[in-house]
Amino acid sequence: MIRLHRVCKLFQGGPMKLPALNDVSFTVDKGEFAILSGASGAGKTTLLRLLYADEQASDGDIEVAGFNVTGLRRSEIPLLRRSLGIVFQDAKLLSGRTVFENIAFVLRVLGVPRHEITPKAFQALKAVGLSSRAQAYPAQLSQGEAQRAALARAIVKSPALLLADEPTGNLDEEMAGEILDLIKDIWSRGTTVLLATHQSRLAAQLKRRTLRLEAGVLTKDEG
Amino acid sequence: MDLRRAGRVGVSAILLITLSLTALGGFWLLSLNLGRAVAQWRDRVRVVVFLKDEPTPSALTDLTRRVEALDGVHRVRYVSKAEALSSLRESLGAQAGVVDHLPRNPLPASLEVTPAEGATTPEATRDLAAKLAALPETEEVQGGAEWVEGLARWQRLFQMVGLAVGAVLALAAILTVTTATTLVLHVRRAETEIMRLVGASETVVRIPQLLQGMVQGLLGAVVALGLLEVTYAVGAPRLEPLLQLTLGLARAVFLSLPQILFLIVGGAILGGLGGLLARGRAVA
Repeated sequence: MIRLHRVCKLFQGGPMKLPALNDVSFTVDKGEFAILSGASGAGKTTLLRLLYADEQASDGDIEVAGFNVTGLRRSEIPLLRRSLGIVFQDAKLLSGRTVFENIAFVLRVLGVPRHEITPKAFQALKAVGLSSRAQAYPAQLSQGEAQRAALARAIVKSPALLLADEPTGNLDEEMAGEILDLIKDIWSRGTTVLLATHQSRLAAQLKRRTLRLEAGVLTKDEG
Repeated sequence: MDLRRAGRVGVSAILLITLSLTALGGFWLLSLNLGRAVAQWRDRVRVVVFLKDEPTPSALTDLTRRVEALDGVHRVRYVSKAEALSSLRESLGAQAGVVDHLPRNPLPASLEVTPAEGATTPEATRDLAAKLAALPETEEVQGGAEWVEGLARWQRLFQMVGLAVGAVLALAAILTVTTATTLVLHVRRAETEIMRLVGASETVVRIPQLLQGMVQGLLGAVVALGLLEVTYAVGAPRLEPLLQLTLGLARAVFLSLPQILFLIVGGAILGGLGGLLARGRAVA
């Protein structure tokens, strides 16, 4: 599902180029649940952005869900992203729309037939246990509920791969546990998961394969 | 549609498109009516050959045949001394009695030569006049197309000025629509970010901006046409006597349906272009 081969990413920092990722190689198979761990600034977010083609690698090869990301044309990026579900630390919900409308919005812009939108959106909300809050606005949600809504939005289009960038970073331990349970639930239904977190205790609790990044270098791949 | 979010800049964009299309349409209207006058006067171009003596019937037949054989001549009409005097009497109206006090008819006989189609340019009528002046029977040659061409030059000038002013204002309108749409894009950036992240095609992301620009353009075009129509309805009845006197035009006409459609489509294209450019700036 994911294959990185000797991937480097340099950012321009004044006259110098600063390495964010250095010679990173790994694969994540279809149906696998992998954790990308590391301290803040280790390169986790940069790596995820390379995977969904929000950034271009400076060197190396990347394959995601059958797409050669390094050779991807601009017009092909939406095709790649349609096969991905992406969740961020901040839920990125649209503040002027209800929870239901946030989910339906995704289906609408992807051209899903009108009569399929409502059942699919409610199915996704049910999967994250948020059906009763469908008509609430983001400002009326707790952080845990907002992250559940973001998860519902990510899975509503049945992605092959879920990329989660610090989805529990803003949550207390109990809420974080609930979100992780939901992600495991999504994974158990066949979606490949790559979860980035700086919370090493959380990573250890999950007892899954862990890829550890330190200063842009992959230092550990175990589990 | 996010026109409300564009606020004053959106209204400015509509106003600039209105100004641009009103200028373009206004000059077009002037040029259109001048063009009608030019066409009408081109049809009326005559070269008059005043004769030294009134010809005998056989000499007239011979002269007419020779003139008709010249290049660029469509028709020749003989005006006798008596007919010329009768015309003068008619044109004097109430003062026609003056003519009766003349000791003899002072008016010369003449040939009224109508140039052929395509030979009404100043050069062609000058050539024709020179040939007619060379005839032994000719006393003097008058007439030509110089002043008609002068009118045509004014028409072309109006067209050029209209296009230039319209183009400058159109450019300003595009830039304003671009700014208005960029502001809306800024307000909607969270929405477009999500759209791109979930894999919406660029077309789906762009369409709202394109539509917003087009709606601004359409509104501008409709307001511009309304202004032109009101100006025409109020101004034309007042100007028509002057037009009749100076240009011989009985009435001023308004823009034709294709011209109106051109302005409406032009407005939509201007606005759409502004919307698309805004997308480019936002993406960059």
